[in-house]
Amino acid sequence: MQAIEAFLTGRIWIRQFIPFPQELVQQAINQGNAIVLNGISADGQCARCLEKSPDYVIPYACASCEAVCRYCRTCIKMGRISSCTELVVWRTPSTVNAGLRTFGWTGDLTPLQESASKAISKSIRERKDHLLYAVCGAGKTEILFSPIHEALQKGLRICVAAPRTDVILELSPRFKQAFPDTTIHTLYGDSPEQSGYGEIILATTHQLYRFHEAFDLLFVDEADAFPYSLDPSLERAVKKASKPSAPIIYISATPPKTLQKRITGQSTIFRRYHGAPLPVPVYRAMWNYERQIRKGNLPLPLKRWIEDKLQKQQPFLLFFPSIQLIDQVCPLLHKVDSRIESVHSKDPQRKEKVMQLREGMLAGLATSTILERGITIPHLQVAVIGSDHRVFDRAALIQIAGRVGRSAKDPTGEVVFFHNGITRQMDAARQEILFYNKEGRV
Amino acid sequence: MNCCLCDQALRFVPSWRGIFLYEAPELLCQPCRNEFSKTTQQGCKFCGKEGEAICHDCHYWEEHGYRELIHSGKSLYRYNDAMKDWFHQYKFLKDVLLARVFAKDIREALVNERAMVVPIPLNNEKLRERSFSQVDELLLAAGIPYCHLLEKCGETLGEKTRQERMATKQLFHLNGEAVPKQLVLVDDLYTTGTTMRQAAKTLQEAGAESIRILTLIRA
Repeated sequence: MQAIEAFLTGRIWIRQFIPFPQELVQQAINQGNAIVLNGISADGQCARCLEKSPDYVIPYACASCEAVCRYCRTCIKMGRISSCTELVVWRTPSTVNAGLRTFGWTGDLTPLQESASKAISKSIRERKDHLLYAVCGAGKTEILFSPIHEALQKGLRICVAAPRTDVILELSPRFKQAFPDTTIHTLYGDSPEQSGYGEIILATTHQLYRFHEAFDLLFVDEADAFPYSLDPSLERAVKKASKPSAPIIYISATPPKTLQKRITGQSTIFRRYHGAPLPVPVYRAMWNYERQIRKGNLPLPLKRWIEDKLQKQQPFLLFFPSIQLIDQVCPLLHKVDSRIESVHSKDPQRKEKVMQLREGMLAGLATSTILERGITIPHLQVAVIGSDHRVFDRAALIQIAGRVGRSAKDPTGEVVFFHNGITRQMDAARQEILFYNKEGRV
Repeated sequence: MNCCLCDQALRFVPSWRGIFLYEAPELLCQPCRNEFSKTTQQGCKFCGKEGEAICHDCHYWEEHGYRELIHSGKSLYRYNDAMKDWFHQYKFLKDVLLARVFAKDIREALVNERAMVVPIPLNNEKLRERSFSQVDELLLAAGIPYCHLLEKCGETLGEKTRQERMATKQLFHLNGEAVPKQLVLVDDLYTTGTTMRQAAKTLQEAGAESIRILTLIRA
């Protein structure tokens, strides 16, 4: 396979940004291997992200082609696409690269994981969508390894998409270990360029915009997570990136009801891999917490809770509903202990701070919902401050509670909802966790 | 409609003004809007840099052959983090819509202006590559009429160091339009003042008597 073919197969790319000489690109187009598309179609739809809302596809007087062009704001961060932008798509189907592959994963699956794994393999063989509904800490990644290995040997091109870069970065070394002789590309916001034809693509959901009928098999991890659930364009991206008949496997701990109804092939795991039940959230009233914090007082119940954790030397996370509130509470927390830091989505040192918490250099972290998924810290304790706030919906609260007790050595821990009135979302989250524990009991 | 910087839903704030008069729809949410910081308007008389009455850069220009070229000038905003992000998204990611973010400020600054408004141009090659002129778009969004008098020569300042910039000789030539006596030069970002001084010099030699300057941002 030529280098340019390996790069372009399955991709949709802005012509002048293709990392090959323009003569080579022109040659491919002349030979009919690649075709050129307009960036924005005549009816105002972006060819890359399929956005068509006039709020995001904006007309302007273009000086390049001296006419009125439209450009797309939805995917602008990947290089702007306007009506006069040329996009290149590879046309010739690639040769299937089937054959034996090394499987570098040697762990054991629990019987529940085993049967879920088999069910997924079966769905893939029958080319059907599948939903893996498994609680936080069920060992979802391990379940995927065996079906992926089987698909690889048939020469399928596979993508695992997750909503956040952190999750992708955590998956990458595990996949490289499990499939040592397979080309794996890891794609996120500003990922380094990777050469060759990626047989497994690990990508943030946004990166899927850049693919066009590329995958024979697609896994969507955390299928309910922000921004996936809010953003219909990402759902379109999933469809666009996969071949028409490709099965899509959704993986979630908190799947929305619509997904549960739509997909017939399902497997459920309501037990963590270590077998212990999920920690059940406790409600604790903390009236007018916002006002107290604004006035410079740390609410007493929260203060006592923090002091208790400090004394027991347990790391803790404090979830807050807004960045503004975190900024206000941070100096108050410093007064209690200087080893309490804060992180939020715009913090460049996010990774370092989480590492410090894991290593015990920090006592605790105040965070926005950004850390609700994908982090595992032993002995972790969690408090949600203002769990009645609307950002904490059922799924977010279940995910937050799922941070606790993930390791087999210490499967217990505390989850406290400090609230200013109990909401239905809080009740729904608690009911669901109780339901998992009941179903998951042997 | 969502905020055009953070994509959060905009909260509709009703006002009496909005009921009786047309108001351009707000593009930014309040938290994003608050991130930008206006200059105090009490700084350098030439470029609006905060601090001394004549800033270090302008002092240099006044001493080195550009004396009394510019009558006065001002800048509207500081070059803080939010402004850097805005500028990057506008000029380099080419998000033309963002020209409207400061339309109101630019309109207020220029709506009662009697002198001719002259935007700083880009060279044609750059213009074709970028697909829009960032200064023209700012003025268009503000609804301010303007007239081009200058053309940019080949060189661009973007990749140059401070010393190289200030030593650049000829940046502009006239495009052949008649040059009036009074005019206001408009640019997006004022860094060292080389662009403005060069443009002013070219225009003064062609007969302009009073040249003032307005920039959106003072770095």
